[in-house]
Amino acid sequence: AGAFAHLMESLLQHLDRFSELLAVSSTTYVSTWDPATVRRALQWARYLRHIHRRFGRHGPIRTALERRLHNQWRQEGGFGRGPVPGLANFQALGHCDVLLSLRLLENRALGDAARYHLVQQLFPGPGVRDADEETLQESLARLARRRSAVHMLRFNGYRENPNLQEDSLMKTQAELLLERLQEVGKAEAERPARFLGSLWERLPQNNFLKVIAVALLQPPLSRRPQEELEPGIHKSPGEGSQVLVHWLLGNSEVFAAFCRALPAGLLTLVTSRHPALSPVYLGLLTDWGQRLHYDLQKGIWVGTESQDVPWEELHNRFQSLCQAPPPLKDKVLTALETCKAQDGDFEVPGLSIWTDLLLALRSGAFRKRQVLGLSAGLSSV
Amino acid sequence: MAQDSVDLSCDYQFWMQKLSVWDQASTLETQQDTCLHVAQFQEFLRKMYEALKEMDSNTVIERFPTIGQLLAKACWNPFILAYDESQKILIWCLCCLINKEPQNSGQSKLNSWIQGVLSHILSALRFDKEVALFTQGLGYAPIDYYPGLLKNMVLSLASELRENHLNGFNTQRRKKISLPMSAVVCLWLRHLPSLEKAMLHLFEKLISSERNCLRRIECFIKDSSLPQAACHPAIFRVVDEMFRCALLETDGALEIIATIQVFTQCFVEALEKASKQLRFALKTYFPYTSPSLAMVLLQDPQDIPRGHWLQTLKHISELLREAVEDQTHGSCGGPFESWFLFIHFGGWAEMVAEQLLMSAAEPPTALLWLLAFYYGPRDGRQQRAQTMVQVKAVLGHLLAMSRSSSLSAQDLQTVAGQGTDTDLRAPAQQLIRHLLLNFLLWAPGGHTIAWDVITLMAHTAEITHEIIGFLDQTLYRWNRLGIESPRSEKLARELLKELRTQV
Repeated sequence: AGAFAHLMESLLQHLDRFSELLAVSSTTYVSTWDPATVRRALQWARYLRHIHRRFGRHGPIRTALERRLHNQWRQEGGFGRGPVPGLANFQALGHCDVLLSLRLLENRALGDAARYHLVQQLFPGPGVRDADEETLQESLARLARRRSAVHMLRFNGYRENPNLQEDSLMKTQAELLLERLQEVGKAEAERPARFLGSLWERLPQNNFLKVIAVALLQPPLSRRPQEELEPGIHKSPGEGSQVLVHWLLGNSEVFAAFCRALPAGLLTLVTSRHPALSPVYLGLLTDWGQRLHYDLQKGIWVGTESQDVPWEELHNRFQSLCQAPPPLKDKVLTALETCKAQDGDFEVPGLSIWTDLLLALRSGAFRKRQVLGLSAGLSSV
Repeated sequence: MAQDSVDLSCDYQFWMQKLSVWDQASTLETQQDTCLHVAQFQEFLRKMYEALKEMDSNTVIERFPTIGQLLAKACWNPFILAYDESQKILIWCLCCLINKEPQNSGQSKLNSWIQGVLSHILSALRFDKEVALFTQGLGYAPIDYYPGLLKNMVLSLASELRENHLNGFNTQRRKKISLPMSAVVCLWLRHLPSLEKAMLHLFEKLISSERNCLRRIECFIKDSSLPQAACHPAIFRVVDEMFRCALLETDGALEIIATIQVFTQCFVEALEKASKQLRFALKTYFPYTSPSLAMVLLQDPQDIPRGHWLQTLKHISELLREAVEDQTHGSCGGPFESWFLFIHFGGWAEMVAEQLLMSAAEPPTALLWLLAFYYGPRDGRQQRAQTMVQVKAVLGHLLAMSRSSSLSAQDLQTVAGQGTDTDLRAPAQQLIRHLLLNFLLWAPGGHTIAWDVITLMAHTAEITHEIIGFLDQTLYRWNRLGIESPRSEKLARELLKELRTQV
């Protein structure tokens, strides 16, 4: 037990020192480095990579290392708060040498001699093979290859998929978000909400909202490509979705933006999949509807302020919801009927927006049925 | 050595020119050209590296003054960088240019420039700003998310290609990506869902407007490239398995059987066209049957003189019967596998009834057995024997009727024993129905009573569909085998047309 504790302590110290090294590697401080320093730095990285391979399946050591890294991050103020991200989790140790190499390679402050030595170390040439694991040279070559492949696909074959949840860029971001949520959840129970809050503050909001929507639509049991080493710890990604739903429900400002910014069809899908969101969504739609009044001259429903949701958009969203499978569709219709009743249950247009919406939805459905050659009068809407 | 050097200089000029034309490979033409040459270019790079590593930086510049340009152009072409080991070799070449101790500003600048290129090769792509901010914001580096991103992009591309391939090319798409056959096969071999989706698409067609029109199904099957791909035994087995499942799920639906027959025919054609290299032993395609049986079935009736068809059918019957009734050999899967194999070959399977009707002689037991087996594979020995007896009786009556001068629908109805006290099970009913239909098409007076008989027969929508399927299949088969009988064909077409208006 004593020997184990000693090993753990030395490993953790090593980890700390390497994290410092990584942080320094992108600063001008490296101008003081000579070839020997470069060599040592790379050796440290190689050692940690070896640790990663060796103890990947060893629960206690892996957990201890991971906890240390999570602590570091917390001190830095959360993921991505620093100018350059450090090591986020145990997995990152698997390519800490690549991370270090890239920073040094891009750092203009590195002296000529040190740089020359770096390049020799990174790219020794053919014939250098490691029986056990991939050499750093191979890892870097693979990174370059993948980068080019992404470049090729992105700028030549890619077209943004109108169904956001099938768009490859969106899906990837969603997968990353869910992965991070899982990790953050592991560290402490209450962190996820704070984490999401900090992301909301820092990141471009429109994109973030889309990613959340796509994350909420991801299939329940997909395997993350990165989670290869430790199948046991892997939680179901469904939990990430739950965290997101919870957070949305607890943040009315965010949820309002969510419902405003995203297209009707996408929201319908999300709400169908996560019924907890439907009452709040419907509530929002009702609020928006109540802000509109009837303009007698123009014969349309208009808002008073510029940020009011216009009639078309409102109608769009309700129309989309009415095409959802039950029980959502039924809930929506019930809600509309209730609002109409509360307003006075008018049948004549122009008096209650809810009457008019229901009329519009029914006639739209009627027209659709005519086009499809179905008999009229049998629809529930 | 000197010769190598000369060769290298020539190659150098050639590739320099190529790279200038390709630039960043942003047009379809430059991309295609790059892809065609990318392997050769890598070989050139290797040779370059071998030469460069022997020199020091200054010598390199002396010998190849424009080397910087050449390497840079290559590094800005993502198709080159993405290929195999080219990025590695390019990096090695660049490293040969680095000055260990730069003596002047020129050399320093060169070092700096090389650093820039190396960084470029390895740096993060300038994505949409929002995506970059997002990934960074989550603390991810490209090395973390490139694998996942690539996977998603490739899956997306694969499904788009599949759609393009199956639906024909939509001219609204910005770029038309057409894959050669070998690439499609590669895709299907590596990514089972793509193959499965292609097959599901085929099944969808079956239940849609293409239902009961074998000519269109044949076109669709040929366009799908599935038959050629199926020359690859692995693909054939997957396709066959899906057909098998479809049959079991639909309890032997005639449409599925017909489709399997069309598919097999296209497959055999493709197999013949395929190069000798691709020929695999029959056993790899049909592992559950005896090679002799497979070989007989694979023969095209067209390649055998018509007079010998009866003989071939008898032979097939014997082999099948042996496989089905022989319990000791334990043929894998039992009767179902034998039946499943047999139904692949519509040329023979659908011929049995015709042959029985055409011969005036005593119907051969082997053919009776084959017919009963075709329509009732699950029957036990006794039941099959019973069916054979019933069929023989019907044939006898039909023969007698064909000799009489006038035919009546009622008589035919009686012969069939429909709606009377004889208790016929569904498979036998179907069999007898098809016998009658065959009779109507071939008998000299058939056309006079055909419509009446069919009206009596088709008392459910299901049976109507079955008759439509039968007529369509018969016409299709006659057309393919070159069976010419204008009167029969005309009758069949008329009946088909009329029936189609009713459903």
